[in-house]
Amino acid sequence: MSDAFGQDVRLALDALWKVLLASLILGAGLPAVFALAIRSLASGRVIIGRAVAGVLLLVVAYGVVSGLLFIVASGQGKDVSFTHVIPQITEKPA
Amino acid sequence: MSAETLTLVLVVVTALGFDFTNGFHDTGNAMATSIATGALKPRVAVAISAVMNLVGAFLSVSVALTVTNAVVKTFDSSATSATDALTVPGDVLLAIVLAGLIGGIVWNMLTWLLGLPSSSSHALFGGLIGATIASLGWNGVNWVGDGTQPDGVVGKILLPAVASPLVAGLVAGTGTWLIYRIIVGVAARFTESGFRWGQVGTASLVSLAHGTNDAQKTMGVITLALIATGRWTSLTSIPFWVKLSCAVAIAAGTYIGGWRIIRTLGKGLVEIESPQGVAAESASAAVILASSHLGFALSTTHVATGSILGTGLGKPGAEVRWGVAGRMGVGWLLTLPAAAIVGAAMWGLGNLFGLAVGSIVEFAVLAVVAGYLFTRSRRTPVGAHNVNDEWESTTASPNTPTGAAV
Repeated sequence: MSDAFGQDVRLALDALWKVLLASLILGAGLPAVFALAIRSLASGRVIIGRAVAGVLLLVVAYGVVSGLLFIVASGQGKDVSFTHVIPQITEKPA
Repeated sequence: MSAETLTLVLVVVTALGFDFTNGFHDTGNAMATSIATGALKPRVAVAISAVMNLVGAFLSVSVALTVTNAVVKTFDSSATSATDALTVPGDVLLAIVLAGLIGGIVWNMLTWLLGLPSSSSHALFGGLIGATIASLGWNGVNWVGDGTQPDGVVGKILLPAVASPLVAGLVAGTGTWLIYRIIVGVAARFTESGFRWGQVGTASLVSLAHGTNDAQKTMGVITLALIATGRWTSLTSIPFWVKLSCAVAIAAGTYIGGWRIIRTLGKGLVEIESPQGVAAESASAAVILASSHLGFALSTTHVATGSILGTGLGKPGAEVRWGVAGRMGVGWLLTLPAAAIVGAAMWGLGNLFGLAVGSIVEFAVLAVVAGYLFTRSRRTPVGAHNVNDEWESTTASPNTPTGAAV
């Protein structure tokens, strides 16, 4: 039982650092980009500010759409691949 | 009606009842921060969350039959036909599932009365573990899995419970710190409206993910009970009425809005501003999605609480009420054993009378306990009208707003 316990801990830690890394990029990085967009809108330089904000918001939208796609895919027992930049629904590896 | 059919009906009703408590227990996970900052009016927030949960529940077409397997050895997932897959006799399984569900509901309602956000999955698993130990003994419980993936009580419950608030807190804290660095000096009229929109979007995402994950658990439990009685034979699909009723139950629960828990999460832990709300909900959404992508089972409640704490720590000068956080921590530690004790006691009670009569007795006890807890809650009601009142740091939780008559 103690072996299996150690194995469980090892497997969990293995998954955990990946969860942490991905979450930092998406969960802290995207809000920061969103904040930059708001700062850009408030910068006073109307045209450049809006253009920059638009680009930044597109980045955020990409993240949100990927998240949505992932929710839909996982509900159907599928996975999402990000290897081709545009996320694609794939079969879940067995 | 045969004894088995009667028990099956009671199992289905109880499972839907659990799904309902699951809904109102978790409304706050997604919506507490938006309600606290005023980004959404309380009624609107719970309505959006309910719709998102409903949609999310319908999105889940994959079969979560093995959900109980995380903690109980009930199901051989390598089997090819539904009837071969059960590793325990159908009537034994029904008795375990009914007692386990009651354990989960009782603990969910008690923690709701106390305004404590605690994991509904832990409550369900705890109830099932208790009923299993009482019925099959210690060896009936899947403690550590088979070593190929994080599984069992340790891998699916204990480790994630410790890890998830830490990860979510770290992510939300980092996000909050970054956001406040970036918006230094930006006029409030830009930040307020911008971040409020961000809050609505991120909170909706969390609600949707919640519907997909949590409704699926109850669907799995009901379908398992149908298989146990030979009324369903497919391993790759679930009956439509099961999906529909579970989706409606969790959405209705969400719409009722567990206001006591929303209040603790939104007002009790930290005083939240819109940028913090965005940081907290983004962190929750990212952690929930990333972990389900990587096969790491997290509780939405633990993630949301960790995120809200993190966003309090990440903003310079913000105050975190550690007393409230400590109470929650104690609640989390107690969830599994407490639900297990109720589950075991219920199984024992039912076992005295046999399957059919026992089920009726258990169900009657549940109705009395739930009714009592609900009546108690009416003495100090918390609702949309007072959910955002000042938090009195001197009084004990549930922090009922002063002057809340009726």
